[in-house]
Formats: sequence, structure tokens, C-alpha cells
Amino acid sequence: MEFLNTIDKKVKEGRVEGVDKVTGKGKFAAEYTVENVCYAVLVGANIPAGKITSFNLDQAKQVSGVLDILTHLHRPEVPGFATEELIKSSRFGLPIFHTDQVYFKGQPIALVIADTLEDATYSASLVEVQYAATPFRVDFDAARETVGLTEAGKERGAMAAWANAPHTVEEEYNIKSQVHNPMEMHATIAQWTANDRLVLHDKNQGVNNVQNVFANLLKIPKENIEVFSEFVGGGFGSGLRVWPHALAAILGAKQVNRPVKLMLTRPQMFAGTGYRPASWQKIKIGADASGKFQGIFHQAKNATSLYENFNDGITRVTRLIYDFENLKAEAAIVPLNLSAPTWMRGPGDCTGDFAIESAIDELSYKLGIDPVELRLKNLAIATNPETKLPWSTNFLNECVMQGAERINWSERKSQPGQLVDGDWSTGYGMAVGAWNAGRGNASAAIKMERDGTITVQTAMTDIGTGTGTGMVNIAHDTTGIPKEKIKIELGHSSLPPAPSQGGSNGLSSVSGAVVAVSLALKLKLAEFAASQNEIYKTAKEEEILLSENGLSFQKNNQHFISYADIWSKNGLTMVEVEASSGPGTERQKYSFCSSAAHFCKLKVNTKTGKVKLERMICIADGGKIVNDQAAANQMSGAAVGGIGMTLMEEQQIDTRLGGLIADDLAGYHFAVNADAPIIEVGFIGKPDPNINPTGAKGLGEVGIIGTAPAIANAIYNAIGKRFRDLPITPDKILLG
Amino acid sequence: MRPFSFTKIDNAANALAAKKEKSQFIAGGTNLVDLMKKNIAQPEQVLDVTTALSSEIEDFTKGIRIGAMARNSALTTNAIVLEKYPLVSKAVLAGASPQIRNMASTAGNLLQRTRCPYFYDVTTACNKRKPNSGCSALEGENRMSAVIGYSEQCVAVHPSDLCVALAALDAKVNIENSKNKKSVISFGDFHRLPGNEPNRDNNLPENALITSVEIPSNGFQKHSAYLKIRDRDSYAFALVSVAAALELQGTRIVAARLASGGVAHKPWRWYDAEAFLKGKEATAANFSEAANIAVQDLKPLAHNGFKKEMLQGAIATALQQCLTV
Repeated sequence: MEFLNTIDKKVKEGRVEGVDKVTGKGKFAAEYTVENVCYAVLVGANIPAGKITSFNLDQAKQVSGVLDILTHLHRPEVPGFATEELIKSSRFGLPIFHTDQVYFKGQPIALVIADTLEDATYSASLVEVQYAATPFRVDFDAARETVGLTEAGKERGAMAAWANAPHTVEEEYNIKSQVHNPMEMHATIAQWTANDRLVLHDKNQGVNNVQNVFANLLKIPKENIEVFSEFVGGGFGSGLRVWPHALAAILGAKQVNRPVKLMLTRPQMFAGTGYRPASWQKIKIGADASGKFQGIFHQAKNATSLYENFNDGITRVTRLIYDFENLKAEAAIVPLNLSAPTWMRGPGDCTGDFAIESAIDELSYKLGIDPVELRLKNLAIATNPETKLPWSTNFLNECVMQGAERINWSERKSQPGQLVDGDWSTGYGMAVGAWNAGRGNASAAIKMERDGTITVQTAMTDIGTGTGTGMVNIAHDTTGIPKEKIKIELGHSSLPPAPSQGGSNGLSSVSGAVVAVSLALKLKLAEFAASQNEIYKTAKEEEILLSENGLSFQKNNQHFISYADIWSKNGLTMVEVEASSGPGTERQKYSFCSSAAHFCKLKVNTKTGKVKLERMICIADGGKIVNDQAAANQMSGAAVGGIGMTLMEEQQIDTRLGGLIADDLAGYHFAVNADAPIIEVGFIGKPDPNINPTGAKGLGEVGIIGTAPAIANAIYNAIGKRFRDLPITPDKILLG
Repeated sequence: MRPFSFTKIDNAANALAAKKEKSQFIAGGTNLVDLMKKNIAQPEQVLDVTTALSSEIEDFTKGIRIGAMARNSALTTNAIVLEKYPLVSKAVLAGASPQIRNMASTAGNLLQRTRCPYFYDVTTACNKRKPNSGCSALEGENRMSAVIGYSEQCVAVHPSDLCVALAALDAKVNIENSKNKKSVISFGDFHRLPGNEPNRDNNLPENALITSVEIPSNGFQKHSAYLKIRDRDSYAFALVSVAAALELQGTRIVAARLASGGVAHKPWRWYDAEAFLKGKEATAANFSEAANIAVQDLKPLAHNGFKKEMLQGAIATALQQCLTV
């Protein structure tokens, strides 16, 4: 296997959207020029709970250029919010401007619209609000005690079966809330082009989802809602939902009868676009003397909001990775006066995996069995232990073995605190992670021009993962048309529909559609060619070869007909084909997972509490790797995210005042380059023959899932202190 | 942000003459612009002094004079600073990010305001931002707050790294007031403790400008270190930081300087520890004892008890690094 960080030096093709991005030609949501646009700024509630009793807008309205100020007392009606029932069934979450209730500090309660952003911003600072405050709760640790657990999925086997397990670990794990913080802030430009026609330039991870949500809320046909999300500056899950600000922009545009641009400020992002909720977990795991796992009991609670329930699915991963004959899971959600959480990279699994993989590491010391060996002994490598279906492919064991070799695992000491150099102690740690590899229905189209240039289109967004670049590779591999003649169009609702890009489903879903439409193109061209050469009448897809200039039969240049010829003979300007592809019966025969093993070498300064990562290795089974640069980039980005999750990320909450504090990029720390070594990424690279036509399994989540436990386990190996709460900051290292 | 007028001024005298009650000088703007965005500073008039003040770094026999407008990044590349005052460069490199250092000025660095999260949140009480409104940090989230020299009114810490080095090196602040009168404030007297007036960060008089900062020549060229412990390795404020400098004769300490950031409302000097080190051998045991002495008087708050142990480790480590870095 080649390691990508070492082969990166070779000259490689860049991303299809790379030049547009770095030159500014590519437009992110807020960058589009829309004629006659005006600007809107949200005003947030200053209290965490209560009722709005009145607004004083006198001063705010005196600012020059202010066009209007929306509140729940003054706004266009959202049909989908007309009754409490409709609000609930809309599943939109916060019924913005349709309630006088305050559920969290920072809740958007007014929208100032002005000719300029500066005027709107200043006016927003002058909006005065009177409240009737009520008691609140934002302290997850205190509130979770009051919420009881209920069964999370079916129990496997019985707890009694392993009551006398000779080796057990029973511990609790706490993780603070984390915030996505994509580089591009969420923004919407809303433009009503007719009473029932809407154009949106919006930051999100799925244009069709945006269409559906607003069609339902506004009761207009979804075809009347055009959504542009052609360039997206990161998502991490924050764009999988439609958030209140987008609706605010739409209502504002309706109210002032002009296009309205609304971009959240960075602090507004913290309470406006979701986050990974704070969590508590308890794990009890038991093994026999040989290290064979006998059972696991996993309990988990996560924070949610008062106006919307969100279950992060923390115990899902427990059912996925290992052969537990006996498994019991319980979960609960804990409503708080905070904004609604949402999926954040590796949702649920990241959190659950930290607890499981930490507990297994702890168990390995009790058993005196190497953590690598312990995992290889217990991985459910043949069958999905939950569904009992065979895995289509699962090479997690190979990931573990290759990772161990790469990091020189044999240099790890079996007891902690053995590699000491002055104040620095070195440790090694590892962990594994897995994710249900999904696939959705997706469509794609190809438009071909006379010169052989094709444009491959799908509504799917590219949030920075390299979807478009991957599509070029797939279209090239399937058609034979050179890459430089393949263009990509993404992220627009009039293009063939595709699922949102999330849950590691993006490429897995769209790749099938690109293969299908590439094959459709071949058949379509053969159909035209048949009028010139009968051989093409019955030609099969694999017999039709496309090149830069034309098509051939079975062998290059055999029965060659140029595109120009076809175009002329048939009076064509453009050849257009569209095709769809989605999962089928293979999902009844097999289970599918992506997986990865993380290995880490680090040193800990016992005097200052500083943790310095020296190496981080991530070996993944993502099936066929469609584009190794984009794939490696996903993995290393995810691992850096995991480093942040482990060592620093924490949304601070003031439990006395009831709100977020330090909610900006100076106060909320995520990892930067200085915190991360070069992430060494490797792929097993074996295609999954059943998941989709390309054999590629999604990689978005597995890059982060095992990162945190690998680091925490390495810290234990270095200094003998076990950290079960994240983040592990220098103060905790010193006092732990 | 409140609307404001913007005027570029070409010399210090004109800048001081133009200054009115609701006007504010701006240099790099790396802190002021944030404060304006968050409605903490609401000047009606902003006076740009970037071309009004010197950005020269001059070597004179008794020391170095750093113009008020010398960018932070200049302090990390200037040959004189690197040769004779390397501690300054090390401290600057531990702070902010390259982009911010390229903008931030020397004088502005002294005048930057605390990063206490409550100071930046106008929905909360803060005596520094709004006198007599209360201190939210005292019993709130005070992990980053002061452990010494604070008052019930304010537990904020000064955020600068550069200033910790300047405090250690006994710098002087040259100022000029509106009557064109020049005067000097010793660095130790420049920043204030909060007391009952936490809204005042320093002793720079109203309507005065910092024109330059001087560092007297010293014997610490060979043995200095700046150690900053923070939650991430770049663009994060100190949990604690230590500027350490030693003048050695052989292995004997002739003079020692120790100062810290992240512990108080001003850069904090550890005079007792310095006195202990003077005349001692430069050994790990003595460094350890100096660290012990330094942390004796700390009075941590509810969430920052760790700073005592961290500081102790950081002082000993920084002193050790003076011998190798």
C-alpha cells in the first residue's frame, strides 16, 4: 500500500472547482450579486427563557436606511406555522417570528432590514425588548440526573449471561458540546420573483431538502423554489437542516418586496446552526480470561432543546463493530434552554465510540492483552452482529494490522509511563471506528456538445469533499472521455435530484447515478451512430468506447464515427441524457460499513500538561477510492477535527446566566495546523462489489470516529492517567 | 457597529489636537475593530495614527527604542531585536497569528483589552465594560481568569504576550499628551490592577499617545525563554505564560527575570523568585524552588486552581529552557 502523504509529491490533478474557488470566481451563497438586494440582521433574545412582552423599536427605526423590522407581531404569515399542530408536524424546529416564547438565549426574535449591512447591523443593536423571564436550565450535568433512560434498540442476549464475567470495566464518560464552525458562515439571499415563486442562494448540504422544507412551510409547489448552492464552504452536518435564518430572509424579502441577504455572524452561528450536543455515557463491558468479549451495557444521554427533540444515536455504533453476544443499550435526551443540536461529523458514533474504545483500552490493561490483539480477537469482521447479514466487505482487521505496522506498534510499552525523557512521556494509542455505509437514490444528467465536451450534472452539493472531482473520475472511467473534456455542474435545484450530502452518503449515492448516466450516453450515441453503421444497433454498453473525438466499437478506432459526424448527420446541437440509480435488493443480502483504525503516538509534558501529537495514522476501508487526493483530504481533515474534539473543543455555557460564552473563533478553540502532525492516511482500496457500481464506500465520518479514543488511550499509555471526559485540556492533564 | 467618521492623521501633534471625547485612535485595529463590532467601543470618530507615529526600531547605546507603530511582526524579524532582545521576539511569536501580527502595532499591543468572555458579551454584567454592573466572571466561568492581584470588581487578565516580555525586561513607555508634553512611564507602572476602577486598564492619561517603547540594554541575550501554555498551539490566549531571562557567569546566576501572563490584570513580575535565583547556581533544583516561591501567594478562583500547578511547572520549565533555547 502506498501512503498518500508520501505520494502527494507527484504532480496530481487538482479539484475541478479549485481554480474557481481560489480566484473568487466561484460564488458562495452570500457572494451572488442580486439586483436591488437589501440586507437583514437578526436580533437575538437576551434571556434564556421566558416570554417577550414588548418591543421598543423607536430608536432602531430612526437609523437611516432601515426598511422594516420583523417580529412575531409584525411579519408575513407562514402557512406552515398557522397552528400549533402545523408547527409540530412541519418538524422545522423553531417557529421563528411565530411565537412569543423564548427558548434560549440568542434565539432570533427580530429581523432588521435596511439598505446596507452597516445600517441593518447598527439598527439591530438598538432594538429594545421587554421580557417576562422564567426559570431556565442549561446545566446538562445537573439536568441529566432528572431524566430517566429508556431502551435504545432491542436487547441482544441477556445481562445475566455475563454477570460473572471475570474481567469488567464499568466507567462513565462525558463530552462537552462541540460546534461545527464551517469556514463559510450560513447565509441566504431570498428573492421572490412572483407571489408564489422564490429564488434562494443558500448555504446548505442539499438543495432538494431546502426546496421540500420551504414548499411545505410556504405551501407553494417545490418546483417554484429555485435553490442555488453551487459552492459550499464546509458543512460538517450544519447544512443538513434548514435553519430559522433562511426562513427569516424569505419572510423579510416578502415584507419589503425586495431581495434580502442575510448572513449569520460568527457568534450567531453558535446558536443558529446546531452543534454536537453535550453527552454522558456509562459503559459496562465484560470479557472472559482469553479476552473474548462477553457483553456490553451502554447507556447514553445527550442534550437537546426545549422546542425540538434531538437524539444523537450514541449507542448505534455499539451494535456495529464487535461481536457482542449480549448487548443492552439505553438512551435519553435532556431538554435544555439551548438552541437545537444537530448531526455533527460522525454524529453519535463519534461520541459512542469514544466511550467503547476507551473502555476496551482499559480492559486490555486489566486482561494483559495488547489492545491491537484484543480488537482483532473481537471484531465482527464477517457478519453484521445486529442484522446477522454478511458484510458485503469489511476490512477493519486489515486497517488495524496495517496501522500497527505503520506506527511501529511493537515499540509501545505494555505498561504506562515507561517511555520518559525528562518532563516528556511518550505513549501510543489506537482505536477503531465504523459507520453504516449508506446509499440513496440519485440522478445525474450529461449534456454533450459537438466537440465531445460533456457536462455532468446533479443537484448534489459539494461541501468541500471533492464530489465534483470524484464525478469526473467516474465519468472518465465509465465513458473513456478525457478528463479535460468533462465539466461538472452541481448544487442547483433544477439539476437532476440527489440526496443531501451527509452521513457519508454523498459519493456512494451519486456515483451510481454518474455511472448510469455515462452508460446512457454511450447507448444514446450508439443509437445515433446506428443510422451510419448498423453494428451500433445492437452494441452493448461495454462494447461502445468513447474517446475525445468519437465512438468506436469493441476496440479503439474500430468502426470509428466522430461526434462531429453524428452531430451533422442528425442535425444535433446537444445530446442530453439523464439516469437515476439507487440501492436495491443487495441491501437485503448484505450489510455495508465503512471503517477505519486510528493510531497515535504522542508525548505529554508532566510539568505543564501539554500534549504534543507526534504521529497520527488513519487507515480506512472506504471500498474503491475514486480520487485519492480528495479522499485523503477528507480523512486528514476529519482526524484534525478529532484532535480538536479530544484536546480542546468545548462550547462553554454559563449555567448561572443561562447562555453560551466565548462564542466566537477566539473563545472556542478547534484544532489548527500547529496542533496536528501530518496525518498519515492509508486506504485498503478494495472495491465493495455490491454497494454501488463504483464500489466506493463513503469516508466522511470514519476519519473522525476513532480519533478521540486513540489519543486518550495514548495519553494513558504515556502517563498512566485515564481521561474519560473530553476535552482533555492541559489543566486536566495536570490535575487528573 | 455604530456609524463613525474616519480620519487619517499624519503626525502625533495633529492626532492629539484632533482627539475629542468620543473619538478613538486606531493603529492596527486588531482589537479595536472587534470591540466596535461587538458594541463595546462605540467611538463617533476614529483617528488613524498609522502614519502619525514612528515604526522605526532604533538601537541607541543604552537600549533599543521601538516606535509605537512598529508592527508586531517587525519585532520577530528585526536583527537588533533578534540579537539583543530575543525574548521580545519569542514572546511575540507566541501570540496571535501571522496575519494579526502583521497588522498589530507595538503601542496597540500594550493597549489591547482583556479577552474575558464576559467583557465581550454586552448582555452580561461587567465592571470593566460598564462600571458598577458587577463581575460575571467572579462566580462564573473563570478558568481563564486571574489568580493574583484581582479584586471583587474584576478578575480579568491582560492578554498580551509581548507585554510579559517587556515587563520582564523593565521597559519604559514614552508618551506624549495633547499639550505636546512628553513623559515616560516605567513598564511596571503602565498597566494597572483592577481595584475599584477595573474600567481603567492602564495609566496612560486621557488624550495621550504612546510614541515609543524603550528597552534598556541587558545581559539576557544568551539565556531567555518564553513559554506559553494554551489550549491550542496557535491563536489562543495563555492559560499561563512565562517570560524567563537569566544572566549567567559560568553556571552562576548574576541576574534573573521572571514575568507571567494569564495570571493577573497586568503582566506579573515574580520578584521574590528573581531575588532567590540571584547568585544561585543554574540548576533544576533552584529553578524548582524559584517556581515554588513564585506561586506561594496565588489565590485561585473556583475554576482556575490548576494555574498554581501549571505555573509552577511552566516557570521551572522556562528557566530550564533558558539554558538550551
